[in-house]
Amino acid sequence: MAQETQGAEGTQRLERGEHITREITRIPQRFPPERVWLVCFAASLCLLALFAVSAFVLFRNGVGMWGNNIPVNWGLAISNYIFFVGIGHAGTLISAMLLILNEHWRNALNRFAEAMTLVAVICAGLYPILHLGRYWRFYWMAPYPNTMDLWPQFKSPLTWDFFAVLTYLIVSLLFWYIGIVPDLATMRDRSKKRRGQVLYGIFALGWRGSARHWQRWNQAYRVTAAIAVPLVVSVHSEISLLFAAGPIAGWTSTVFPPYFVMGAAFSGFAVVSMIAIVLRHAFGLHDVVTDRHLDLLAKLLLACGLMTSFGYVAEAFDALYSGEDYDVQTLVDRLSGQYAWSYWGAVILNFVPLQLLWWKAVRQKPVVLFVVGGCVVVGMWLERYMLLVTTLYRDYLVSSYGEYHASFWEWSLFAGMLGVFFTPFLLFVRYLPMISAFEIKEALFEDRGERKGKAGGASVHA
Amino acid sequence: MQHVPPVTPVQKKQAAPRSVLQDFAEERSMIARLSAEFPALAPDATGINRRSLLKAMGASLALAGVAGCTSQADETAMPYVEQPEGETPGIARWYATATSFAGYAQPVFGKTYSGRPVKLEGNARDQATRGAIDPFTQAALLGLYDPHRSQAPRYLGQPGSWTRWERWSVEEAARLDRNGGNGLRFLTGRVTSPTLRRQMANLLQRWPNARWHTHEPFSADEAHDATSAVFGRPLDRHLRPDRADVIVALDDDFLGPGPWQVRHARDWSDKRRAMQQGQGESWMAVAEPLPTLTGVTATQRLIAHHDKVALLVRGLAARLGLVESPPILEGQEAAWLDEVHARLQASRGTSLVLVGHTQPTEVQALGLLINEALGNWGRTISFRTPVAALAPEGNRSLQVLVEEMLQGRVSTLVMLDTDPLATTPAALEFGAALANVEAAVHAGLYADETAALSHWHLPIEHPLESWTDLRAPDGTVTVVQPLVKPFWSVRSQHEILDNLAGHQNTLAGHQNTPARAIVQQSWRADWGVNFEERWAQALLDGFVDDTAEPTVVPAVQSRAAASTAEAAEPAFASGLTLLVRPDPTIWDGRYSEIAWLQELPKPITKITWGNAVLVSPALAADRGLANEDAVEVLVDGRSLRGPVWIVPGQDPATVVIFAGGGRSGGLAEGYGIDPMQLLPANGKTVVSGVELRPTGEQMPVATTQPHHAMHGHDFVRSVKREDLPDLEPMLEEHPSFYPEPDWSSPSWGMAIDLDVCIGCNACVIACQSENNIPVVGKELVAQGREMHWLRVDHYHEGPVQEPDMAFQPVPCMHCEQAPCEMGCPVNAAVHSYDGLNLQVYNRCIGTRTCSSFCPYKVRRFNWFDFTQEDPESLQAMRNPEVTVRQRGVMEKCTYCIQRIANTRIEAQKEGRPIADGEVVTACQAACPTTAITFGNVLDPDTVVSRQKAQARNYALLGELNTRPRTTYLAKISDRAEPAPPSEIKS
Repeated sequence: MAQETQGAEGTQRLERGEHITREITRIPQRFPPERVWLVCFAASLCLLALFAVSAFVLFRNGVGMWGNNIPVNWGLAISNYIFFVGIGHAGTLISAMLLILNEHWRNALNRFAEAMTLVAVICAGLYPILHLGRYWRFYWMAPYPNTMDLWPQFKSPLTWDFFAVLTYLIVSLLFWYIGIVPDLATMRDRSKKRRGQVLYGIFALGWRGSARHWQRWNQAYRVTAAIAVPLVVSVHSEISLLFAAGPIAGWTSTVFPPYFVMGAAFSGFAVVSMIAIVLRHAFGLHDVVTDRHLDLLAKLLLACGLMTSFGYVAEAFDALYSGEDYDVQTLVDRLSGQYAWSYWGAVILNFVPLQLLWWKAVRQKPVVLFVVGGCVVVGMWLERYMLLVTTLYRDYLVSSYGEYHASFWEWSLFAGMLGVFFTPFLLFVRYLPMISAFEIKEALFEDRGERKGKAGGASVHA
Repeated sequence: MQHVPPVTPVQKKQAAPRSVLQDFAEERSMIARLSAEFPALAPDATGINRRSLLKAMGASLALAGVAGCTSQADETAMPYVEQPEGETPGIARWYATATSFAGYAQPVFGKTYSGRPVKLEGNARDQATRGAIDPFTQAALLGLYDPHRSQAPRYLGQPGSWTRWERWSVEEAARLDRNGGNGLRFLTGRVTSPTLRRQMANLLQRWPNARWHTHEPFSADEAHDATSAVFGRPLDRHLRPDRADVIVALDDDFLGPGPWQVRHARDWSDKRRAMQQGQGESWMAVAEPLPTLTGVTATQRLIAHHDKVALLVRGLAARLGLVESPPILEGQEAAWLDEVHARLQASRGTSLVLVGHTQPTEVQALGLLINEALGNWGRTISFRTPVAALAPEGNRSLQVLVEEMLQGRVSTLVMLDTDPLATTPAALEFGAALANVEAAVHAGLYADETAALSHWHLPIEHPLESWTDLRAPDGTVTVVQPLVKPFWSVRSQHEILDNLAGHQNTLAGHQNTPARAIVQQSWRADWGVNFEERWAQALLDGFVDDTAEPTVVPAVQSRAAASTAEAAEPAFASGLTLLVRPDPTIWDGRYSEIAWLQELPKPITKITWGNAVLVSPALAADRGLANEDAVEVLVDGRSLRGPVWIVPGQDPATVVIFAGGGRSGGLAEGYGIDPMQLLPANGKTVVSGVELRPTGEQMPVATTQPHHAMHGHDFVRSVKREDLPDLEPMLEEHPSFYPEPDWSSPSWGMAIDLDVCIGCNACVIACQSENNIPVVGKELVAQGREMHWLRVDHYHEGPVQEPDMAFQPVPCMHCEQAPCEMGCPVNAAVHSYDGLNLQVYNRCIGTRTCSSFCPYKVRRFNWFDFTQEDPESLQAMRNPEVTVRQRGVMEKCTYCIQRIANTRIEAQKEGRPIADGEVVTACQAACPTTAITFGNVLDPDTVVSRQKAQARNYALLGELNTRPRTTYLAKISDRAEPAPPSEIKS
């Protein structure tokens, strides 16, 4: 009897697994919303072209094409850099941290979240190079043997930024790639066309699904995850030092590292939620990315948002508690100065819509969650902008007060950077399994086992 | 002996005279005896010595290398076949000469490399300036190289030639000979040159019907009327601020820009420094309608309308018993006057009362009599025969000329180095009058507005490339020698006058430098047999000894001023009063083509590239105006549109516009507004009954410092004079986590004494010229991208209507614990063993972290390539010892590291330590008040260490613990009543 049931359950499970595999792998093969995708892809290619033009203009003429000046040496480039690295962190948190914590619900989200991380880090990494006065010398930040016998200056937060972003890029790439290998093998096996078989086959690295493969894979995947998780904290803490290490009032605060990491996770979860909602809607993946997933994402968003808001309070408290003239003055400038719109924009967009997520019914409404996520993305962008500009435009000496207005070419580069973000991401959605099929199957199996175990345990006790 | 060396270099250190022994050793007989005695020392008979052997070896090695490579010399390159005598490439030569500022000599040392002048510094041997120099004089260098200068003669607007000009002038001279010079008129600026005066005298003698008119904008020659009223003849005044314990300047900016500035500032700072050491007083009160350098520096500043100043003069005269009925003055003004009077009474004979030249003649005359009553004549103020040539019609000279031109009585008008069309009131209609002249000849540096309307335009030599002579304001003569041969087809003014006399340059006796021959002729008679010697000495020194005009105090002819001043009760005009003043950076517009001066921030407003309609905060509030709002300024039907700029500390009923803006053509085109459109035909620069009409539009103004209110911070500190003896040291020591570096001696540092800084900008231009600092233009200045390594901040504090003001020069602080160095990822910002914060340009990749982290924001970034497209002539002007920076790198003040390195090399060659005062930074060298001191801070006996040891030495933003090497000495306040409470006002 029991065997029979088990056999029936096994068949059911196999069927269910096969269904999921089919559902996910059919997307790259017979892409259902081809037309919508083409329109999106064409738009992002246009943005990519805009990026190329903006970068060309910048490289040809110099950073003077932007609105930067003395005192506001940094502008959109650096605030966007922080913003993009920040949203990337959510992908790592979802896939690596939840993997280690054995939270199975991550499996529906991790693949595209990681892909998002990867493109976000690429965007972020481009910005510091674009912003250099002599971009053609960017590699001088790297420690490489050279005839001048010079090393980077290890006290500089920028040197560590360089290491941090590069490390993060490599680890994210590895983690994403290791994770996708079994599914690439599935794609190879299911491809009807020769080209697909060859291409997927090359990148599947000869995966046959043997037990030894799985064992090695498991080791590699979990070790990489274990490396990636602390990176989230260290990378963004490091990036916060770009501000906090300087002696400028409004920057030089110990609140910055946790404040930045929280903000990063917050903005990242917002982006992941938005992407999840769009993909689920576009490809009808309601049974894979379920309402429960949205609920959990919304909870994470709420938690990070509240911690970020605590950061705002801590920052203001810090300034007032210190009583330092310049700190208080920077706070006043933020609250009521020329760029107060960026402060209040950040605070309101990051805090107010978020409060809707206290209600479960709201959390499970994709449209509402999408709008809240959008608010948070804009709010966090404003926060990065605010932290940079409101600090620099009035620092110490009254005589060096200035203003900053981003120029056309700065905005166009920002728009173009969205092309850099979306073009590879759309290609990923189109040609690769964007949800981890095998991990969902694994989760299904394990969940069932757990539930069964629990149920059994309960009955024993009963 | 006819031969005179073309130019006599002045080595900074005199070369050791060739020893007699050396000459002796080379004598033929000596060589013979030497070889007999010491064969080893005798020159080798075969002609091969060690040196030629090495040469030959070097050549063969080089030839061996040739076989291995195919590179060839550039065929267009010219090898230095014969090195000119005394010329070592890379070693600077210095020439003493002078430039002209408003006709007066400004003595300079010109630094040249291989014949290229690269820097002008003050003449350290000149007793009046003692090595100091003003911004205008330094920027004359850029004027020399200016590619926009007129480069060839023009006739009727078409390119002409000098031969054609000579043909014309010979014919003209013949014609004038026939009618005794009928209808010939000369128009010049202020002329002090003895040679030019001699030439003019000869011409006027030859053509008795010719006339000479002068037109010098903002000449201050109105003061001559006052001396005429008192002494019966025009006299220049000679001030001795170094002897004055108390100075009262009534609308007289004697420390402000002008040909006298350096001299007055030098003397005033001497007195101020003596006061700091407890010797005597240095108290100054100023009453003025707009903030000036003198006003900012003053102990007590009273804001007074132009007409009110006259009342104050009379009030002071009444208190001294010179005038019967005192004017009614109340409140603040009476209190101010009481204090001034008390101070003056206490310092009889050591005080100085100055009345500005724009005041009515009788008021100025009364000012002279006040000095007499105080016993100041012959002590702090004396007089001298005017140094410049005076036109018989005095200040009406130009008007008389224009009347004659309009009447058609002028057939030939020769305008020498003057641009009357741009610098005379539009109401005078000089242009229309010029059209009435049969032949107008214009000789000037630029093909300007006047040139365009003249028949002949003749380009003249810049003073730095010509032979001439000029007199300083005290009369001291400088024989001006060229630093370089003229770049273009230009002639000196002397040659042009000589041509007018019917001589041709190419004729015999004139050789290649007719100007030198003409100048020499002026002095040959005077100097007689000693001519050659004295000529050489004059060129070496840069001035002729004992040529200063003696000072006198003539007998008083009339004291009527006392009574007439009383009669002339100023009728307070309704409405606003317009004051047109010379621009603090481009003067009357004659320097508007010089980009350094256009980009030099005006001392009070920090406006660059143009001027504005300056109004007080009260007037702006009343009319609802904000900075950059365009207004229509209306006077008697004349109008001018310009942007408003609010100036705290200006009189509410006064509108000020600086001259020199709104030029057409050239570099200056489109920058600023031209107040000459508003002035009446008589050229009076004080106009009442002015209206302002807002237009509702905006006109952009580029300023380097948008905010001036100190907001209660202590950037500029001041201490009470009575607290000075027991003052606790203001420099605070804070603990630090960083280990104390082990500095090697010398370790460099700077101290800037804010108590004597007058904000004159001399240091800013000195730095720009020394360090090849690019000019970026109005748009980039407006975006906050100016490149000055040294800026002079201007602050005000207290009520915005009557604030306290102060200047603060800010170079790099060279922090011992510099945040910039920590921020740089590529080791471009590093610290040197001798205490300098270095910026390694070729290491910099332009992350700008250093500037973000810099609390003083003294770093400057090359946002674009500012240097690559410089015209070739400007490239020749660059200091070869300072790297020209590429696009995308950060730069900043280096403490003139090239000067430090040069001195160090010299000291090491001579095997001695660097002496104190041996390294002089460019800013320090230029400073007229010696506010800047520089040297080794590890040695307690250096001047800079002694300055830093003073209790009033403090660090800017010392609480950040960056430990700046540049520190400031607090101002000393000597005010009787407590300073007004410092309120936060913006």
